[in-house]
Amino acid sequence: MDKMVTLKVNGKEVTVKEGTLILDAAKEAGYHIPTFCYQENLSGVGSCRICLVEIEGQKKLQPSCVTPVMPDMSVKTDSATVVAARASMLEFLLSNHALDCPVCDKGGECELQDMVYKFGPRKGRFGEEKVRHHEKDYILSPVIIKNSNRCVSCMRCVRVCNEIVGRAVIGAVGRGAHQEMTSFLRSRLDCDHDGMCIEVCPVGCFMRLPYRYTARTWDLKGAKTVCPYCATGCAMAIEERDGTVVRAIARLGEGWNDRLLCARGRFGYDVLNSAERIKTPLLKVRGSFKPVSWDKALDIVRDRFTKADPQKLGGVASARLTDEELYLFQKLMRSVLNCGNIDSTSRWDDRAAAAFISEAGINAGGVTLYDCMNADTVFVMGGTISDENPVTDYIIRCTSAGRFMNVIIASTRAMKLDSSALLSVRHTPGRLGPLINAVVLSLYGDSRERLKGVEGIAAVKDSSVDELSGACGVQAAAIKAIAGKLRAASSVSLLVGTDFLRLKDGLSGLGLLKRALGALGKELKILPFLDRTNQRGAWDMGVHPLFGPGYREVEAGLGCHGMLDRAAGDGMDALYVIGTDIVGLYPDRGFAEDALSKIRFIVVQDTFMTETAEMADLVLPAASFGEKAGHITNQEGRVQKISALLKPPGEAKTDLEIIASIGSSISPGSMEGDPDAVFEEIIKEVEIYASAASSGEAGWLAGEAAAPVCGVMVKKGGSLREAMHRKAVEAGVPAGEAGSKPAADPDYPYYLVTGNHLFHSGRLSRRSGILKGLLMDPAVEISGSLAEELGIADGDRVEVRGRGYGARFFARIRKGSPRDVVFIAENFCEASVNRFFRRGETVPRVNITVLK
Amino acid sequence: MRDSRIETVKVKSLESGVRWILKRTFFVDFIKGLMVTLGYNLSKGVTLRYPDEEKWIPYRRFRGVHTLNRDLDGRELCVACELCVKACPTRCITVVPMEDSTGKGISDRVAGVWKVDLVRCLFCGYCEDACPTTAVRLGRGYERACFDLSSAVLDKEKLLLPEEVPPDLDGGVIVAASFERTGAGMKVNADFTKLKGDWLKMQG
Repeated sequence: MDKMVTLKVNGKEVTVKEGTLILDAAKEAGYHIPTFCYQENLSGVGSCRICLVEIEGQKKLQPSCVTPVMPDMSVKTDSATVVAARASMLEFLLSNHALDCPVCDKGGECELQDMVYKFGPRKGRFGEEKVRHHEKDYILSPVIIKNSNRCVSCMRCVRVCNEIVGRAVIGAVGRGAHQEMTSFLRSRLDCDHDGMCIEVCPVGCFMRLPYRYTARTWDLKGAKTVCPYCATGCAMAIEERDGTVVRAIARLGEGWNDRLLCARGRFGYDVLNSAERIKTPLLKVRGSFKPVSWDKALDIVRDRFTKADPQKLGGVASARLTDEELYLFQKLMRSVLNCGNIDSTSRWDDRAAAAFISEAGINAGGVTLYDCMNADTVFVMGGTISDENPVTDYIIRCTSAGRFMNVIIASTRAMKLDSSALLSVRHTPGRLGPLINAVVLSLYGDSRERLKGVEGIAAVKDSSVDELSGACGVQAAAIKAIAGKLRAASSVSLLVGTDFLRLKDGLSGLGLLKRALGALGKELKILPFLDRTNQRGAWDMGVHPLFGPGYREVEAGLGCHGMLDRAAGDGMDALYVIGTDIVGLYPDRGFAEDALSKIRFIVVQDTFMTETAEMADLVLPAASFGEKAGHITNQEGRVQKISALLKPPGEAKTDLEIIASIGSSISPGSMEGDPDAVFEEIIKEVEIYASAASSGEAGWLAGEAAAPVCGVMVKKGGSLREAMHRKAVEAGVPAGEAGSKPAADPDYPYYLVTGNHLFHSGRLSRRSGILKGLLMDPAVEISGSLAEELGIADGDRVEVRGRGYGARFFARIRKGSPRDVVFIAENFCEASVNRFFRRGETVPRVNITVLK
Repeated sequence: MRDSRIETVKVKSLESGVRWILKRTFFVDFIKGLMVTLGYNLSKGVTLRYPDEEKWIPYRRFRGVHTLNRDLDGRELCVACELCVKACPTRCITVVPMEDSTGKGISDRVAGVWKVDLVRCLFCGYCEDACPTTAVRLGRGYERACFDLSSAVLDKEKLLLPEEVPPDLDGGVIVAASFERTGAGMKVNADFTKLKGDWLKMQG
């Protein structure tokens, strides 16, 4: 129990926890103290002195944002002295402020403007010349432009860059009045371009370059939405002027993520303004697309779908659609077309997904990232979280700092979060299973009694840590250290990423680790970190061949993998693809192209012409995020509402309307395209969504939602969960094979791994001009040691060659990655990484040659 | 006293009777009326012969059609802060800023679009008051009659042109003018060198 302190604020008695700041105590008592440099989540500096308060018995005024409360303190927040001091502080700040408000982009939403208007002196006495750092604004990054003459030295940018983004690009350069918050030599260094410095800047010192001089804040019309670029599900608002989206912004206190957004979220909005959008239904006539009317397009779809054999019909819907759309999609396929062949991705095996859902407890309810971070030890594995889910990385970083670095990382590549982790290990790609098994084995070593009954322990108990350590490429000492940390913790959180799905490796290990930690009595939480914004929603809605809405058992169908198999075999009658690019992302492009070419009718419904759409017989124009309303479920299980800001371009319609009209044309009256009505149906059909509906804007899945602990999940059992658990074991790599180190290959000595780039997500973000400005050409990421060995400098041209395919890339060097791991993001259409893959092979081998 | 007065009245009534007859006989009142008309016909007129011969030039304080102004170096004063838009009660001004670092304006921020819909404008002058750089001023132009409402929307190029009335002319005067009707439209050509005097004084 925390010790409580009682104090008086303006004569009103208030009791707060020991160590609370006066600022927060005053808030509790109902008094607002204005602040400038203070921001929640950032360390206190007390530099702006706006929040000065009078404390009885102390001669000098004290800054309330850094002064903790003391027992029997008497604080005055609005006395004449305080009010006068506040006004003088503002006069000081203005004495060296550029005061070019009519030109400044911040004008209208500037904290300094507001503050001076409210509390400020109406005139200044400073008659000297102001310090000018530069005449013209200078560009700090392709998205950030800077005017230091407006700086009020609150240091928020410096702190956010250090403490949350973890880059430390910005620092305070110079002293006194000449101090400037900028980067070293005003260069961009290894900036993440996430614009957090812009968001926290109270004045117009850091500004958005794409938004520069386009509008005033009061011109903008906004709508709340959720970032479409990863499953962190950051709430944000997109704002338009005259039909053009000009910025995306996350405001303090509006979404669960407050101001946090990454480069993709903050600057990837311009896909909505793209001129390349599909605007009319297009029918392929003799090899080229011709615009057709919606009526004709729907007639063709109805005709082909009803004539198709349900076994030879299939549908793949993107995990970027809303819950409503995904629900209606599976309803169309299952109830109207009697077809169980549906999937939400082309990138991984549906059985691996089922196993992952079961082992990560996704079907049991949601858990917040903040709750996860409260654990004694947080084990992050199966993905490069700093690149895949940047905002999750930010939240982990700032909470980890307050929790004495409770993070352990196991990944194939180095990442930014390493610096905030207690321990981070690099394992051989595709050998996460042996690493987890080795950790379990270390735990087993001194808790044999408690662990001997754990299911699956028999498979690992006879191997040795050293043997497994050799297989996964992690030193035995590090494995023992991880096990030691897990053993010592009373609560453990596992953050599990998409490598489990992509590489199908470690799934059985994850289940084993979960059960072992449960048997050791740890309070366990598991949070998946996923790369598509509504992946969890897609699974909840039953867009999966093995289960229906709410993870109910259904007649099993084929996943994307199986559909392509069938197509390559005796062909498929029809395939309905919504928003996903099978050709571009299926891990074996040649096979996917071949299989798709054997499908007699492909209808693709998308916002842009994708490589899959080029192969389609009919293309339907769909609405993008920002043009439709609905709900999105993020990786935590948080159900958030999104709303429409713009009208879809041309004749495009929302996916919900299209699916509903296809459904109604086949079976009249079966569907309606109203998001509210569909969500009502979801609440009735999917019991875990009942609480999400009642809580309005953002909801939680019901059931044991708040904190699904491993014990509860195992106890509850249920036939489906057991069935899914069996699939987990099937999908995982057999223990014998995984126990060995991959054989050396002298011709192709490096492992190729893939995933999303920090600035891109799937293929959609490549349509954003701003994000392309951050990373234009396909890049290959190689480790610092390999670069040194081959004499490659950052930006050099290299050729990456695998068996059967080679392409040229720019080299990007990532220090700290293992020497033999090469990374190419899956986002580049120009050099599609899936050409390197062959079916059944999860980690291709490649060679690198330097081009002179 | 009383009697003599009565007598006078009697005499007058006798005289007036004669006069009445004479007036009726010789159309005296009618001729008097004609004399007034004739007098006005011959005297100097008070009608402003606008637009054929004369035109009134407003005072400097007049609130007519907007002008956008430049500083002494010829740079545009407008920084596209959009405060005029915000201040406008009829929402008749549209401003879209853009960046231009060529030195065209006094800052890098200049107006890409600056237009005013004069059909909606009520010439209140709030935009002038709001302008932090004295870029927008209500000028002395008032001839806005048109056949087509679209010509009532003035854009930046037109507004930046120097005003027709010379800045050193005080206003409140009448100058010589001529009216011109061509295929392109109608126009009043004023000759600012030919002052015809102060309008107020001319009113007497």
